[in-house]
Amino acid sequence: MKVRALRSILFALGVSTLTAGAQAADKIRWLNDWLPAGDKAVIYLGVQEGLFKDAGIEVEIMTGRGSSDVVTKLGTGAGDMGSGGLSALMQAKAGAEVPVTAVMSIYTRQPDAVFVAEGAGIDDLKDLQDKTLATATFSASNVTWPLVLEANGMTPDAVKVLKVDPGAMGPMFATGRVDGTINWITKLPAFQALAKDAGKTVKVLPWSEYGFNGYGLSMFASDRLIEENPALVKKFVAVYKQALEMAVADPAKAGAALKAMVPDIDADIAAEEFAVSAQLIDTDIAKQDGLGAFEPELLKETWAWVAKAQNLPADALDPEDAVTRAFIPE
Amino acid sequence: MRRTLLSALDRGAPLIAALLLLLIWEAACRLLTVPSYLLPTPSAIVQSAFQVPLSSWLDHTWATLRVSLQGYALAVLIGIPLAVALANSRLLSRALYPQLVIIQSTPIVAVAPIIVVVLGAGDAPRVVITFLITFFPIVVSTVTGLLATPPAMMELSRSLGAGRLRAVRDIQLPFAVPYIFSALRISVTLAIIGAVVAEFVAAENGLGFFIAFSTSFFKVPQAFAALVVLVSLSLALFQLVALTQRLLFPWSLPKTEP
Repeated sequence: MKVRALRSILFALGVSTLTAGAQAADKIRWLNDWLPAGDKAVIYLGVQEGLFKDAGIEVEIMTGRGSSDVVTKLGTGAGDMGSGGLSALMQAKAGAEVPVTAVMSIYTRQPDAVFVAEGAGIDDLKDLQDKTLATATFSASNVTWPLVLEANGMTPDAVKVLKVDPGAMGPMFATGRVDGTINWITKLPAFQALAKDAGKTVKVLPWSEYGFNGYGLSMFASDRLIEENPALVKKFVAVYKQALEMAVADPAKAGAALKAMVPDIDADIAAEEFAVSAQLIDTDIAKQDGLGAFEPELLKETWAWVAKAQNLPADALDPEDAVTRAFIPE
Repeated sequence: MRRTLLSALDRGAPLIAALLLLLIWEAACRLLTVPSYLLPTPSAIVQSAFQVPLSSWLDHTWATLRVSLQGYALAVLIGIPLAVALANSRLLSRALYPQLVIIQSTPIVAVAPIIVVVLGAGDAPRVVITFLITFFPIVVSTVTGLLATPPAMMELSRSLGAGRLRAVRDIQLPFAVPYIFSALRISVTLAIIGAVVAEFVAAENGLGFFIAFSTSFFKVPQAFAALVVLVSLSLALFQLVALTQRLLFPWSLPKTEP
């Protein structure tokens, strides 16, 4: 009786959140893919500068726990739009019917990197042979890492990888318990600040320099929203792009906007973090194809890495099905 | 004279021990130059606590407290009546007890992400997670207390023509009060744990969220400060439940306080 009562409460609450989402026409429940930090600043800048308000959109910002969490929450109606790695969406869509589609690219270079200490004799991927790296237990980078090694003529077990809590990686690196860490490049300022305390300087080996190409962070929308209110999606994407350009031009402003909405943030570190992620946004690819675009070739390459990493047949997903270009502003 | 000194020492012992421990901690960290991102000194923790604006502390503490109390209240409101039903009906107890054990045996931490997906944003999933963690001890302990009523008393009340409801209200529940309160004390600390577990999975504020947020920037002293607030909150609630028992049911306390 209790279990059933609980289930009906769960169901009733679930339904009420779904319908609430459907009714509020000009409200977007936005999901960031991780805890507030500088690289998530764009959405906050858009809100603080009143860009969304001027377009008649109310934005509620929520914090997801990883890209696949964002995909799940958008798919089940716990959010409307959000940011996450395109690989995570492709992986989810290859395995099941997932009503979420990418509507705009944000990173045109993959953010994954290896952080090592300057002067430790590690200047190239090959120098990592027999070294030990720390990585976050649930990081999506973990599945791609062996492939990056293979693509560079190394065996997958050439480097020892320890899976730890994200909060423990910096301290382990600073104390020299590991030779390096696997991180998104956007985490560099926080690491640099910590390493400085330990008398070290962080050196970055971006995977994109070792053949790991593809779209990284992208904007997702739930198919329900796309179907019910495509005009709103179009409007939202256009405003977001405007905020994105504003942030790239002035990372300090982006950091300050984040600080204004999340008081616990250090505005300077946030500005630095956004400046680093701007290198993944404002790339040669983006300059050539236009900000936000999905080019078929790079899309195919993004999927090829996912398929290989997940051991999926190449035809498990048509990468074109993961994206739509209908909302990307000219 | 010597006796008063000894008794003063006896009363102050916990405080002195705690202060001594803090001193050793501080000294060890300084002497061994342990970096603050591994184990911060107590002074660094205090310092970082003051760097966080008060409004921020209040905001996070209130978020955690709100969820804990809602989940706890729900657990009490459902747990005690359920326990009365289980203790008085063999059929119900046979039917429901295994299911309760199944719920209790499920690692809530593992189910939490699913609950969040089903219930969406807002307090609802966090309250449900807290409820699931807190209600089992309340049910079990209350049932035990109700069944501890001497059968002779129940038989007497029946022979005197008291109704079932009255027997529960006037005999069984008073007998169960010590059991209920021991469960309420345990559960109130579990409620804080439940709220923190929920905040690790999905939240925009709260002390659990603040700890995850702080460690994501390697601000370990700040995370420790949040931990201190969490422990204080937990202790305060524990004492509040104990105080409630002392005020409302003084007769139910053991003869000597442990």
